[in-house]
Amino acid sequence: MTKFTLENGKTVTKPFNKIWIIVGVVILLLYLFSLLIPVNLGLIQLSELKVILQKMFSPKGTRTWGDYFGYLLTLQEPLVDTLSMSFAGTLIGSLMAIPLAVLSAKNIVKKAYIYLPARTIMNLFRTIPAMVLALIAVFFVGIGVLSGIIAITLFTFSIMSKMLYEVIETIDMNPVEALESTGASKIESLRYAVMPQVTPIFLSYLIYIFEINVRSSTILGYVGAGGIGMIIKDNILYNYDRVGASIILMFFVILVVQLFSSFARGRLQ
Amino acid sequence: MTRAEETLRKKPKKWLINLVFIVAIIAALAISFSGSRINWTRFETIGISLRIMFTGLADFKFNFLFGTDPYHFEEGVVYMTLVTLAIAFIGTFIGAVLAIPFGFLASVNVVGKKIARIGEAILVIIRVFPEIVLALILVKGFGMNALTGVLTIGIHSIGMLGKLFAEAIDNMDKSPLEALDAVGANSWQKIRYGIIPQVAADISSITLYRLDINVRSATVLGIVGAGGLGASLILSAENWNWDILGTILLAIIVMVLAVDAVSSYLRGKLL
Repeated sequence: MTKFTLENGKTVTKPFNKIWIIVGVVILLLYLFSLLIPVNLGLIQLSELKVILQKMFSPKGTRTWGDYFGYLLTLQEPLVDTLSMSFAGTLIGSLMAIPLAVLSAKNIVKKAYIYLPARTIMNLFRTIPAMVLALIAVFFVGIGVLSGIIAITLFTFSIMSKMLYEVIETIDMNPVEALESTGASKIESLRYAVMPQVTPIFLSYLIYIFEINVRSSTILGYVGAGGIGMIIKDNILYNYDRVGASIILMFFVILVVQLFSSFARGRLQ
Repeated sequence: MTRAEETLRKKPKKWLINLVFIVAIIAALAISFSGSRINWTRFETIGISLRIMFTGLADFKFNFLFGTDPYHFEEGVVYMTLVTLAIAFIGTFIGAVLAIPFGFLASVNVVGKKIARIGEAILVIIRVFPEIVLALILVKGFGMNALTGVLTIGIHSIGMLGKLFAEAIDNMDKSPLEALDAVGANSWQKIRYGIIPQVAADISSITLYRLDINVRSATVLGIVGAGGLGASLILSAENWNWDILGTILLAIIVMVLAVDAVSSYLRGKLL
């Protein structure tokens, strides 16, 4: 600890900066965790990276570039699958989230024995990655678009209910009180005092979650839930050029949806 | 007619637009579900599937959880969960460190509008590229192990972290920098006393938030061989080993909830 003597004879001690504790903890954690990550330099073949990228982004064997891009045109069906999975899942999941979000909001439901269990359900659901939901859905309804819809619906349900209840808790409660003082029922006050305040934000979240869902649904097919991911899984062993073409398609779909989403959300605000 | 009634009648009638909108949405939903590859007959067996699932889930595998006989400790869920956590933590750290220069590169305040556009474009490309596809490619170069997972998460995180860091830098108050200029500070001193104190809290809070996301993605990266829980997750799911899958799911839930709690506690302290 450093001491400074000021001109008037007083000494001040520079306080110990807590940042060093944080830095120490982070370094310790990094060290401990790095023990769990085996690094075997013999296994690293950086030249293989170049090989695979070359295989992915150039036509295979006797195929021409025409075939390479022609293949993109045959991917219409998985593309439609991916988009419809995201669309249906986002819509149904968001609608399902509304009642749970209302039940979780402390300012609407004032009873802890209702909002605490509702929040617990939502938090438990939220921990499970969409990929795992898809794996389980594939077990129940088989390989195909429906498993994707189910997985995305459940995923949307879990995050939308969380985002929505946080919005509901921050609304202006005066209109609700005003309506209740005129004798409006709970449903009426929800419809005329809560909904108008929440709807724009709900729509903006809906678009945002749609964007997330398109991103994850492109890859959900990898575990059998339909869409572009399935094409990658089918071709990963022998046709790297087709994998590459699917990746290009995937990239542009996500890019377009992201641009649309930021545009639409900008308009809503 | 009272004034209230008059106002009510002046309210624009939007039922036609609403009706068209609702019909369009229902039609789109119907098209989504009409996909030819939906196998509706699978619904007949859903009861049986549920029974298989719950008997499996109830048969909890403690030796698999802790990696005791007949499993090796390295095959146990506890060990694999720790590896997953390690992948997420080190990956996030690498991502955050790499994202700092990218954040400066995409910040209008630091490099000006033109270069910031380019920086932003690079970040968008990184963000849009799907994580699992990145892992799929990196596996070829770095092998089927946790290192690939760390690198995947590290690289992919740059996209979002860089963008948010750039925003944090742009929102910064510039008057301390002017004050430092006035007392004759050099560039390093300006960064140390003018920029770091302002953005450190924001950057740490953003990084903690990203750690949350990365823990979730680290659990599934193993599906393509990038280490962690994912490999046994997909194996057990594809073979319908619900007993093993249940154990893994429990581990995921506990881990994600714990990281969530720690991260939001720390973020609360930072703000």
